[in-house]
Amino acid sequence: MAAEEEILPRLYMVSDSRRLPGGAPSLPLLVRRVVSRLRVVFQLREKHLPALALYQLALDLRGEIGPDTSSLLSINERTDIALLCGADGVHFPEASCPLKRAMAPARDLMCGKSSHSLQSALEAASEGVDYLFFGPVFETPSKKPFGPPKGLKELGTLCRRVSVPVYAIGGMNPERTRRCLDEGAHGIAAISAFCSMSGLEETLDAFETVLAQ
Amino acid sequence: MKKMPEKGMLCCITPEKGDPVAYAEKALAGGADMIQLRRKNASGRDLCEWSVRLQEICQRHGALFIVNDRLDIALASDADGVHLGQEDVPAAAARTLLGNDKILGVSTSSAEEAAQAVKDGADYIGFGHIYPTSSKFKSREPAGTALLRTVAGVTALPVVAIGGITEENIAEVTAAGAYGAAVISAVSGAADPASAVRRLRQKIRAALP
Repeated sequence: MAAEEEILPRLYMVSDSRRLPGGAPSLPLLVRRVVSRLRVVFQLREKHLPALALYQLALDLRGEIGPDTSSLLSINERTDIALLCGADGVHFPEASCPLKRAMAPARDLMCGKSSHSLQSALEAASEGVDYLFFGPVFETPSKKPFGPPKGLKELGTLCRRVSVPVYAIGGMNPERTRRCLDEGAHGIAAISAFCSMSGLEETLDAFETVLAQ
Repeated sequence: MKKMPEKGMLCCITPEKGDPVAYAEKALAGGADMIQLRRKNASGRDLCEWSVRLQEICQRHGALFIVNDRLDIALASDADGVHLGQEDVPAAAARTLLGNDKILGVSTSSAEEAAQAVKDGADYIGFGHIYPTSSKFKSREPAGTALLRTVAGVTALPVVAIGGITEENIAEVTAAGAYGAAVISAVSGAADPASAVRRLRQKIRAALP
C-alpha cells in the first residue's frame, strides 16, 4: 500500500449527499469550496447510489480535487471505481474483504479502514492500512448503528498501540477535536459537521484553528 | 482467455437468502455451467468470502464463476468474470480493469442496449426479462420471446435469456435463439435443486436447433 511521503491531512470529510440540501449534484460544489480553503481527505461514501451514479460522481470529484490541490480523494470500498476515476485512495468499512485481496488490483492507492472496537482497529493495523478511523468517539446520529460511543480513553489506548495515523470519528466539533488530538489522534473525520452549505467556511476555519495548533 | 460454456448453457444465480455456497454445490452437482453470485445487500466481507469459495468449487466442477454488479469483489476474489447491469459501472470501463482474460456479461432489455454492450466489449449479453418474474421488481413489461428472437438474430455475441424461465418454457427460449438461460427460482424454489438443474439442461439441449 502507498508509502506516505507527505503527512496526511488532519481533516477528513466523509460525504453523505442525502443530508445536503441539493443532494448528490451539489457535492462537487461543496468539495470545491472545501479544497480551495484547506487541505483535506475527502471520501465519497454514498451507499444508496447505484454504481453508475457513484462512478460519474467520482469522476466529477476528481475534477475538483485535481493536481493543483493538495487534498486527497478517497472512495468508500469500491476499488474498481477508485481505479477508474484515478482516486488517491480507498476506504473500507469494518466488514470488508480482507485488505490483501481487496487492494491486490490497487496496490499503489492509499488504504484506510473503519474500526468500531479496539480489537478490530488492531486487526486492521496488522493488515497494513495507511490510516484508521476509530469511533464513534462521541454520540452522533450517523454512527448509532455502530454501538455506544467508545470515548476518549479507548481512543488514547488505540493511538498508543498503533503506529499508523488514527482519525477520530463520531460527533466531532472543534472543541472535541482538541480533546481527540490530546489523546494522540492524527486528526478527525466527520460527516454531519460539513453538511451545511451555510457557514461552511466558518466551520472549516474553526476546525483548522484547532488542528493547526 | 476464459471461454464461454458451450451453447445450451445454464447459469444459476444465487437467491437473496440462504448460504450461496451450499446452494451452488447443489446446482453444480446437477451440472450448472455457470454460477452467478448475486446478493444486493451483503457486506464486502461476506461477498468476498463467498466469492473465493465459489470460485474454488466452480473450478473443481469445470464451471464458470461470475460476480453480479460488484466489479471490486470480482477483482479481489479473482473470479472468472463479472455481470453488470445498466446502472453499474460502464461495461467499457469495467473491461479496462478486467483485462481480456475475464468474462464480462451485460444485462440488456432492448436491441439498443444489446448493441451497445457488444461495442463496450462484453463477452455475452444477458437479455430479459423474457417472462413475468417475481425475483426482482420490474417496471417494464416482459420482453417476450419475439424480441429475444430479434436480438439473438442481430447480436454477434451469446445471448443468455433471463427472467421467469422455468422447465415449462425453457425450450421456447432456446428455440427463439438464446445461447443459454439464467435462472434463480426455477432452481432455488425446487425441492431438489440438483435434479431441477439436470432437467433444465436436458430441455435446453433437446431444443437446440
